[in-house]
Amino acid sequence: MTRSVIDPVTRIEGHLRVEMEVENGKVSDAWVSGGCFRGIELVVENRTPEDAAQIVQRICGVCPVSHAHASSIAAEKAYGITISNNARIIRNILEGAQFLHSHILWFYNLAGLDYVNPLNALKADPADAMDLARAAGTSMNSDFVALKEHLSQFAENGQLSIFSGNWFDAEDGTGFKLPPELDLICTAHYLEALGMQAKASQISALLGGKMPHVMTLRPGGTAFVPTDQKLDDLKLLVDELYNWVEATMIPDVLAIAPYYADAFGYGKGPGRYIAWGVFEREDFKMSNRYLPSGVLDENLNLSEPDEKAIAEWVGRSWYKGSETYQAPNFTTEPEYTDYNVNDRYTWVKCPTYNGNSMEATSLSRVLAAYKRNVPFIKEHVDAFLKALGHEGDLSVAQSTLGRTAIRQIETLYIATCMKEWVDELIEAVKSGDSEYFRAPETNTGDGSGFWEAPRGALYHSESVKDGKIQGYQIIIPSTWNLAPKNEKGQHGPLEEALIGVPVGDIEKPINALRTVHSFDPCTACSVHISEPATGKRFETVTSPWGVK
Amino acid sequence: MAHLAHYREAHPMPFVITHWINLVAMVLLIFTGFYIHYPFFWGFESMARGLHVFFGFVLFINCICRLIMAFIVKSSPTGGTRKQVTDYKTWLPQKDNLHQGPQWIKYYLFFKKDHPLSAKLGVPQKISYLFIPVLIILMFYTGLALWVPTSEIPFFAAGTSLVGGIMSMRIIHYFMMFVFICFMFIHIYLANVEGIAPTLLMFFHKEHGGLVYDPDIHNIIGEDDMGHGKQH
Amino acid sequence: MEGEAAMSAFANMLEARGVTRRDFMKLCGTVAAAAGLSQLTVPQVAQALETSVIGATKGNLYPVIWVEGASCTGCTESFAQAQTPNAAEVVLDMISLNYSETLSAAAGYSMEEAKEQTIEAGDYILIYEGAIQEKWGGNALRVAGKPGTEHLIEAAKNANAVVALGSCAVNGGWMGAKPNVTDAMGVQQYLKKAGINVPVVNVPGCPANPEWLTSVLVDVVLMKLKPADLDLNSEGKPAGIFNQTIHDNCERRGHFENGEFVYEFGSEEEKKGYCLYPLGCRGPQTKSNCGVVMWNDRRSWCVQAGAPCIGCCEANPNDPGQNWVEVNTPFLKRHRSLHIGDWDVQPTTIAVGVTGLLAAALVVHGFGMKATGRMDGGADFEKKRAWDAKHPEKSVGTYEVSEAERQKMYKEDTGHDDPNATKEGR
Repeated sequence: MTRSVIDPVTRIEGHLRVEMEVENGKVSDAWVSGGCFRGIELVVENRTPEDAAQIVQRICGVCPVSHAHASSIAAEKAYGITISNNARIIRNILEGAQFLHSHILWFYNLAGLDYVNPLNALKADPADAMDLARAAGTSMNSDFVALKEHLSQFAENGQLSIFSGNWFDAEDGTGFKLPPELDLICTAHYLEALGMQAKASQISALLGGKMPHVMTLRPGGTAFVPTDQKLDDLKLLVDELYNWVEATMIPDVLAIAPYYADAFGYGKGPGRYIAWGVFEREDFKMSNRYLPSGVLDENLNLSEPDEKAIAEWVGRSWYKGSETYQAPNFTTEPEYTDYNVNDRYTWVKCPTYNGNSMEATSLSRVLAAYKRNVPFIKEHVDAFLKALGHEGDLSVAQSTLGRTAIRQIETLYIATCMKEWVDELIEAVKSGDSEYFRAPETNTGDGSGFWEAPRGALYHSESVKDGKIQGYQIIIPSTWNLAPKNEKGQHGPLEEALIGVPVGDIEKPINALRTVHSFDPCTACSVHISEPATGKRFETVTSPWGVK
Repeated sequence: MAHLAHYREAHPMPFVITHWINLVAMVLLIFTGFYIHYPFFWGFESMARGLHVFFGFVLFINCICRLIMAFIVKSSPTGGTRKQVTDYKTWLPQKDNLHQGPQWIKYYLFFKKDHPLSAKLGVPQKISYLFIPVLIILMFYTGLALWVPTSEIPFFAAGTSLVGGIMSMRIIHYFMMFVFICFMFIHIYLANVEGIAPTLLMFFHKEHGGLVYDPDIHNIIGEDDMGHGKQH
Repeated sequence: MEGEAAMSAFANMLEARGVTRRDFMKLCGTVAAAAGLSQLTVPQVAQALETSVIGATKGNLYPVIWVEGASCTGCTESFAQAQTPNAAEVVLDMISLNYSETLSAAAGYSMEEAKEQTIEAGDYILIYEGAIQEKWGGNALRVAGKPGTEHLIEAAKNANAVVALGSCAVNGGWMGAKPNVTDAMGVQQYLKKAGINVPVVNVPGCPANPEWLTSVLVDVVLMKLKPADLDLNSEGKPAGIFNQTIHDNCERRGHFENGEFVYEFGSEEEKKGYCLYPLGCRGPQTKSNCGVVMWNDRRSWCVQAGAPCIGCCEANPNDPGQNWVEVNTPFLKRHRSLHIGDWDVQPTTIAVGVTGLLAAALVVHGFGMKATGRMDGGADFEKKRAWDAKHPEKSVGTYEVSEAERQKMYKEDTGHDDPNATKEGR
């Protein structure tokens, strides 16, 4: 029995520790620890919902738009506002741009280095790489010769920069399996992806002012009012992005997958999924969103989400007490004790749905959409499974590589929707619709925002009185995914997924790292506390000029 | 019913002028100040800011001139007399007011029926007026700490960082405007509640008859009705 | 060629700062000579790796450690959105980013080892993103089994300089806002407390604009300026970036001067691009050059997109309480709210309230004056001062004078004889 630890887990958002018990070359037990507590719910208390929509974005620099969105929806529900059609489309595009940004960055620049070894690309023959790219049907926008030369320059200098610490020799050098030519292609796409994810963010900036942390998305609609020039820019950017995503991402996935086919065999989480749905249609129904809501049990039977089924438990986390709290009223007070996997070991709380741990990832969304027969998703998932030689077998998707690969179908779907939304917006503006913002008529109420971040189901809930927030609650996808053991003793989804992962190298457990990355964890997001609507828990001496 | 005679010697012409300037500058500063805080109608922003800065300087320079003139110009130490002393002496404690502070308070709170005998400026009056130049100078300082061309000068920047940044400085400036507004309310009320003779004198140099008070024996010695009818 | 293109991008940047291309080649030394080398390099990397996990400790790249404290990774994200130069150019051709939780290929213990080796070799810059949290002995943030504060101290001690990147690193950012449960603060303040004397460059913003970081890196890495030679203002922020307000360089400033304002989101005025001042824009008091460098490869920025500035660059490195959230909320109001105990209140409410009370008191007093008959000239004067009546021996006023003296004084006081003087006196 051996322990294998990855701390810090890199190429994720935030601070994450993974500790695993390894037996006979496989993980037999696992503990996932979220490393940072910040307490944003307390900061937004006593501030306005409009302020909160701005502040809560700072939960996460990767998915700020989703937080602004969920927070705004919660405020709109509390105020009883339905946003205008233009605002709906603009917000869809803003959200879609962030999804594209996040998915591209995550696949190539974060998770990608679990599969691709750029240093190995030095051995590649650029001409062969061209042939291979052509054969794989993936894009060839980069000059492979120049790229190889650039890498050579870098290698000649001898400093390793972001490759310091070198995991490419994991499992005695057998951990990375791509041929040098494919490594070269994917390295080229790593660099192109950096440009494309930035392009996606430019869409967010165009509509939102800046990214990360957009400025125009606010309760009541949007502060962005399109002009003709802005619409032109928008259309060009969206088309460019779609073309790249369409030509590159799925072919790359299909090219890489055969070399790591074993990763289809491990990494299944609890097999229960939640998705709250994202991208509104005109009817604002969660079940009819472009990516619809859905709760899936072990047999992938679909049911509608129910807020009352959500609970949180803190018995294994660094908070006072061991209570279970029912949504939307969670009461917790942070209290650090020691790191102890047999007791409390994380800042992440443990959310459950009907008492069970649930996976909340893009896989959840795609499965929910599949079950609701969203045509694009259904068609592409089927085609994808067929291409992998597992026609109709959804269990292949529920694995480390499945989770990693299936996200690219979602990426393409969103890129396709983006084109549709831009046309829809242009039509709406042309037809003379000029309503972008609806001011609230009341300033008291309760509301919950069910939405999706790129990494999974997102929930914001607030109670507002006289324009001031009395209580604010957040459950982030990674709170679900990185949860510790729950009251029933079920492991959290990531822990569950890690159990059974083959570990060939205790010091560099690369398969475990692949599994962690397949969840696209976002740790800073996942750590939360909350307060009841009544009573102040944290005594601070204040001066009229603020906290000293 | 009685008040002291209002003679021009109490408020010589230079002070009538500075008082006028104070009035105009303060009213404009308050109006433009509110506009700068929140532009409640369109089209006036640059003019509002121009006027605000200009009259800020006017108020400050006027204040300094008034302070200097206190050592040059003579004015009456009390009402009801044409005798004069150098003006600054009317700002220092005067024998006429000795032990009269509590009497004033009692009078204003209706615990005292008779009007207290006093110098030109009664005890509360004198204290509040003395506070005004301090307030103007502070206001000018906070204003310059906010005004971009001067805000980076270390003398002002240090103040801004001491109070916790530009936002805090702005709020202090804002609160101080309300101190001026409150002062003006009280001042206008008290100056006019017993009749508008003081206002006519201060603004238009119009004299008004009344009781005669001698500053040397600190007592009323007669009446000069100046054709306005007997007061007593 | 890609490598050359990147080199040339840096050369252009330097030219803009008065460094010629020839000087640049000298600065870069062997980089130019190395261009075009072939597969031979592969064994060299392998060799470097045998002795160290960071490769060569000296080379053409400036070693950098990028540590995330209590952060949202937004500043790293922001850096990844830069295109001139882009993140890959920076980490392959400019700096050797030996430790970054977001970009590094390796993970876990290997990363900590890379960090240790870099610290040991010295001559590096530490970029610190996120707040420092003192609560629970620094355990609000735990990395590699240690509290976050320890990581900062270890990495800062031996650094040439620390770049506190983003408002959180400058003074705790929103974590410093009430109620600040984790005792958040900025890098500069914490290092001072810990007695570590290392130059700190404060680059606020939520997130920090990547062009600001690049500008600091160009100064230090390419211009080889010592931290002490950097042009920083009194708060340790680059003066060229943070000495003017957003308002000074705002594209909507003309509308401000014209008095053309947006009073409602989504309105016709908004479409015309009028000034957002009445919606609480913090541009006039927030110091940064956002309107010049804009965001996301200069695509747009907050005000251009129609959103009033929320002042995210507000950060006093010596006072976590003066953070952008505390200073600027509610964002849509012209003033921040004040906290008096548990009472959050706008300055206007206090000011108008007090003034209103005063006005009401004066009205009531006026009725009192009316009732006591003082409105018409005031009450009669007291015959004698109350004090004088009690202390005749120390009397202030003289109440007994002869008629002759009185008439003499009367003439002095009024300039004429007393017309009412009768033979028997008054």
